[in-house]
Amino acid sequence: MIGHQTLERLRPTIPFQAAMLALTVMLASAALSVADRVTRRPIAEAVAGDTRASLAQVLPPGSFDNDPAADVLNTSDGGIPVTVHVAHKGGVPTAVVLATSTRGYAGEIGLVVGISREQRVLGVRITHHSETPGLGDKIEIAKSDWVASFAGRHLSDPEPAKWAVRKDGGVFDQFAGATITPRAVVAAVKRGLALYRREHEQWFAVRKP
Amino acid sequence: MNTYRKILREGLWDNNMIASQLLAMCPAMAVTATATNGLGMGLATTAVLVASNTLVSSIRHLVPSSVRIPIFIVLIASLVTLVDLALNAWLHELYKVLGLFIALIVVNCGILGRAESFASRASVPRAAFDGLAMGIGFTLAMVAIGAVREIVGSGSLFAQAQLLLGPAFGFLELRLFDGGALLMVLPPGGFLVLGGLLAAKRALEGARRRKGAVVAQSA
Amino acid sequence: MSAPQHSPHAHDGGSVGRVMAQVMLALTPVTLWGFYLFGWPAIWLWLITVGSAMLFELACLRLAGGGRATLGDGSAALAGWLLALTLPPWSPWWIAVIGSFVAICIAKHAYGGLGQNPFNPAMVARVALLISFPLEMTQWVSPAPLFSGLGPDPVAALERLLFSTPIPDALTSATLLGHVKAEASRGVDLLASVPALGASVTDGVGRHAGSLGETGSWLILGGGLFLVYRGVIGWLVPVALISGLAVPAAIAHAIDPAHHLSALHQVFAGAALLGAFFIATDPVSSPASAAGKLIYGLAIGFLTWVIRSFAGFPEGLAFAVLLMNACVPIIDRFTRPRIYGHGPAAGRGA
Repeated sequence: MIGHQTLERLRPTIPFQAAMLALTVMLASAALSVADRVTRRPIAEAVAGDTRASLAQVLPPGSFDNDPAADVLNTSDGGIPVTVHVAHKGGVPTAVVLATSTRGYAGEIGLVVGISREQRVLGVRITHHSETPGLGDKIEIAKSDWVASFAGRHLSDPEPAKWAVRKDGGVFDQFAGATITPRAVVAAVKRGLALYRREHEQWFAVRKP
Repeated sequence: MNTYRKILREGLWDNNMIASQLLAMCPAMAVTATATNGLGMGLATTAVLVASNTLVSSIRHLVPSSVRIPIFIVLIASLVTLVDLALNAWLHELYKVLGLFIALIVVNCGILGRAESFASRASVPRAAFDGLAMGIGFTLAMVAIGAVREIVGSGSLFAQAQLLLGPAFGFLELRLFDGGALLMVLPPGGFLVLGGLLAAKRALEGARRRKGAVVAQSA
Repeated sequence: MSAPQHSPHAHDGGSVGRVMAQVMLALTPVTLWGFYLFGWPAIWLWLITVGSAMLFELACLRLAGGGRATLGDGSAALAGWLLALTLPPWSPWWIAVIGSFVAICIAKHAYGGLGQNPFNPAMVARVALLISFPLEMTQWVSPAPLFSGLGPDPVAALERLLFSTPIPDALTSATLLGHVKAEASRGVDLLASVPALGASVTDGVGRHAGSLGETGSWLILGGGLFLVYRGVIGWLVPVALISGLAVPAAIAHAIDPAHHLSALHQVFAGAALLGAFFIATDPVSSPASAAGKLIYGLAIGFLTWVIRSFAGFPEGLAFAVLLMNACVPIIDRFTRPRIYGHGPAAGRGA
């Protein structure tokens, strides 16, 4: 250990200051890289768990035996990136989950849409949004069961003109005081179904062994 | 004299990070839409504060004063990143609630402020205790702001507390009424409630001073 | 308030109370017309807003220990009155009370009371209410005139106010600005959406949904001109505000009538006229010099047009007024009149 007096003498000198700063930065970097190593696996697992949990909400349990969270394709629909998760059972595709986004009243709304091979909606969940609390946030399943009204829908059920909120002559409820948010979500789900109809053969073809 | 009693008093009331020093305004506005978020942010900040005060105090003889600020900042930023990684890995549910705000702790000038004005001049146990006292004072102020905003703004209190503290704390969650004044959970509400909090603290102190003056006169 | 002591000031014996009384006189016709159009709920709402504003004023003065200094001058009653004119006429009672609280306790007294508030209290209250309670603040009704049997009788109206009974669907309606904004958001352009409502707005008589203060346009204009004639307000701010709104509106309408309302609609719809004559002219929160007033009025008008045309909210006057209130110190700083006997450079110096 250096004596107290030596330290007093060294402290004002530039090389000592530079060395101290460098040492601190090095130690900090070392600590961070160790931490990164230790936490990388648990974090990756936790994130994958999040994806799995959100996929499980829109896929019927037991309808798949692969890990759709890992079975990923990337495509885009009118410039909006769409992530396609394919669910298989016994090597046969049973359903897909589209993770996509749309523009709501106050920024991006992220949503996952589960679609069966019969081209029906299995379920819709909102993954993130910044809509007005108390008005537009009724798209969350925790606040209202509005998103459940999509289950079982098909591009022709209701007929295409009725794929809209009531205010626009459609069949889906809007919320009191907030029309833009549900309108955006309805349109996004409809787009997802149309995308499936156009592209699902390609998606499944990629998977064929 | 930095007795522990005085340190505690300073941290909780006299020199409260939010209500007296007016530091840490960024988290005080951004995360206090609910009492639960305020509590979570307060606890995370307290952890960083205790650690950074301890660390800074233990190397205070080695650090030359001309490079102390960059060194403190490197230490604090690394600590925050460690907390961020650890929460993400092992308390993932909490991380999903607070994750966005953890990074804000870095820019919390309150932490650098304590390192600079207290920890770099005090012994390790005192510095650690100061971190704890300041952190608790900060947490209390955050919870107070969050509680007012949450009650007025959305009619609930400690919503989703079990997400933060575990299922045993679900009982904390209160549902008072439906609806509420949206303004309070939006950013302007933070300013309004902070203003109210500062005014209330001053009014209390003023009243106490007047009472003290009366007592002194009659004695 | 005492008269200035030194020359060259002359005092004509006016007072805050007298100014307030004249403004109230100018507001009376449009208020009575609004009462007739929207019936008993509107009358109760007005009474509650003005009454609670005065109670809050009294409470704040007591709290500050200053006695009743500014209770009698009518400034609180006027702030409440202006607020009442901007509320949906069938709002529940608590909207009125919370609005008065924000206007008097927060926007006025937290800043130091009469003459100290940088922001117009009625507009602060309206914006706070609009953001806090978007549902209640956009519940407009079609006119249900007194004695027509469409609206509730006094007792039923009071009941509705106290227990927030929902408004029957047959009576709910949208304002012109709200209507075109909603239609535009689903892709219906103005050529299709305006004719249904437009004519009843521009005739200025007010047979359309809206707040008390946006329906009887001619009466507001008349009241405003009375105030200008009496010298209570200057003509500069109203003229600047209306031109700031009408000129860009006219240009945009000429270029693209399918997406921009005409200047006439812009001026007669919403709170434009009320704002031009009764709100932007508030002497406390507007600039002092003529040049400053010109900039201030033009900017409020222009911002109102921008917000109405491009933002999420259908009406933008209250936001525009608050934004420009915030700019008043800067405007005053750069439009300081030249001091007599000094060069322009000296007048501009720090």
